[in-house]
Amino acid sequence: MTAAETPLTPETQAKVQEIGETDVLVGIPSYNNTDTISHVVRAVSAGLAKYFARSRVVLVNSDGGSSDGTPEAVAKAVVDLGTLLISEQQSPLHKIITPYHGIPGKGSAFRTIFEIARRLKAKACAVVDSDLRSITPEWIELLARPVLEEGYDYVAPYYLRHKYDGTITNSIVYPLTRALYGQRIRQPIGGDFGFSGKLAEHYLEKHVWESDVARFGIDIWMTTEAIASGARVCQSFLGAKIHNPKDPTADLAAMLVQVMGAVFALMEEHQPVWEGVKGSNPVKLFGFQYDVGVEPVNVNVDRMISSFRQGLADLEPIWREMLAPGTVEGLLPLKDCPLQAFRIPDGLWARLVYDVAASYHHRVMPREHLLKAFTPLYLGRTATFVLETQGLTSSEAEGRIESLCQAFEDRKPYLVERWQAPFA
Amino acid sequence: MKEFWEKALLGPLETLSKSVLSVLPNVLAMSIILLVGLVAAWSIGHVVERLLRVIGLDHLTNRLGVNAALTRGGVKADPSHLVGRTVYWLVVAFAVLAGLGALNLQPLNQFAQSFLAYLPRLFTATLILVAGYLLSNFVSQAVLIAAVNAGIPPARLVAACSRWGVQLVAVAMALEQLSIAQNIVVVGFGIMFGGIVMAAAIAIGLGAKDLAKEFLEKRLSNKSRERAPDDLRHL
Repeated sequence: MTAAETPLTPETQAKVQEIGETDVLVGIPSYNNTDTISHVVRAVSAGLAKYFARSRVVLVNSDGGSSDGTPEAVAKAVVDLGTLLISEQQSPLHKIITPYHGIPGKGSAFRTIFEIARRLKAKACAVVDSDLRSITPEWIELLARPVLEEGYDYVAPYYLRHKYDGTITNSIVYPLTRALYGQRIRQPIGGDFGFSGKLAEHYLEKHVWESDVARFGIDIWMTTEAIASGARVCQSFLGAKIHNPKDPTADLAAMLVQVMGAVFALMEEHQPVWEGVKGSNPVKLFGFQYDVGVEPVNVNVDRMISSFRQGLADLEPIWREMLAPGTVEGLLPLKDCPLQAFRIPDGLWARLVYDVAASYHHRVMPREHLLKAFTPLYLGRTATFVLETQGLTSSEAEGRIESLCQAFEDRKPYLVERWQAPFA
Repeated sequence: MKEFWEKALLGPLETLSKSVLSVLPNVLAMSIILLVGLVAAWSIGHVVERLLRVIGLDHLTNRLGVNAALTRGGVKADPSHLVGRTVYWLVVAFAVLAGLGALNLQPLNQFAQSFLAYLPRLFTATLILVAGYLLSNFVSQAVLIAAVNAGIPPARLVAACSRWGVQLVAVAMALEQLSIAQNIVVVGFGIMFGGIVMAAAIAIGLGAKDLAKEFLEKRLSNKSRERAPDDLRHL
């Protein structure tokens, strides 16, 4: 399917034709977010009015068929600019509220937003989650202005998060993406991004909309595509990210399948890009940085360790197929060690993730089985991180993440070796 | 005396020699067919084995877990060799049947026809068994991983049950295909499956009713009483 064939409803097409062109477009994907989306829409409206007063601006809500009145809440949400001391005459804010087509998920919602951005010839775009409670008007400036005025193509978010918030990001996606592509993008699957109209067109040209990218995989896909396509990438400091849980019923294994599946599939696609990259470089960070209190996160280490140990007891034959012999041997002592001594060290974890990536590439077993069998290993590593960082502040815990990233970078030759040849 | 000599002794010998002479061409034909068949069987078997090695059958079956299962079953040969040998023996069997047909003996002809008519069923049954075996491996691995991720303690038992369940269905289907004791297979399968379900029901009803109650309460009330709070956000 070509970019021109991305479907839009007749009403949306008519609205797009009526608007013509725009400078800044902000997209909000949604599905049953009636309790939070009004706040998000008001923050976006205020941000556009305050920081892009003389630009043509459009807000797009791409909805997945909400049954709780989310689109109506978007339509009704208005912001009193007077109370925000925004008095400058501005161009009107156009709202496009449209359903999306395709596999239910954030990726399909984004596809519709990209298509509208392409048709409106948007210069700068931003997408923000609809479940955000901490979004402020400044987010819109921080995500769109680097594109509009500094010539960047992609703006990744930089949040302050609790040390146990975003554990897949901290233990897998950030270290792996950084080691692979050499760019220190701290929140590669943050969920709120800025990007140029040119990059939106590039996204639309890709044939990924029937894959896991259409669901949880969209965030890492956007970030990786931006880096791999040679786009100029930066970050913006957005402060704390407070949002509703992604999906209370979401199964962790399914989440890992989608995120890790997307990361590994992208590794296969961009092998020539990452193979020769050594070390990593800092990425420009915009915004005024400050410290802020973050929501505490409760964790149950015992449960995580018992999940890991059950995996070791029952899945060991499967792990032996997907991991190198030395990696499995490194895990065996954890079977009956005291709880406080439970550790999957950085080096072992980096090798383990690389083994899984190589096994995915060499298809040593059905890929879904491989990624789901990884779940107890991930919980074991998360337990390690919790035990290691007990009593540390979130910024101190950041130091531990930094040393993990270093372990991933140091062992990258191991990945290249494994990627080229299956296990002996 | 001379007449007796010719009729009683030379007569049967002459008849016998005529019979032998009339069969000899058939025997010669059978020998040639067998010889050519054996050479063809060796050649075709060898070519098939080499071809399968070239296209990487062993690598594929290794991924599917077939090689490991063969090793566990005491078979040290790889699948390419096994298929090559199977083709060899199939061609030999055809050659033997064709050779026996050349003798033009009624009972042997009937046997050959019956055997040939049975071959498609044999082939289908073999396919069912192989497919059932591969499916059982896939299903049991999926069940094992899902059970471990769900924290179900007897994960391996659940996976083993699913494996044997799928293999049992495959064997029942294969036997039915071969027309071997069809009724016994269907009835036996029904009794065994029903027995398993009944045993499980009794076991849960008598031995694990509290567990089942607790499980249902948790599922229906959508809350866990014992679980410590854990609001880890993974993404």
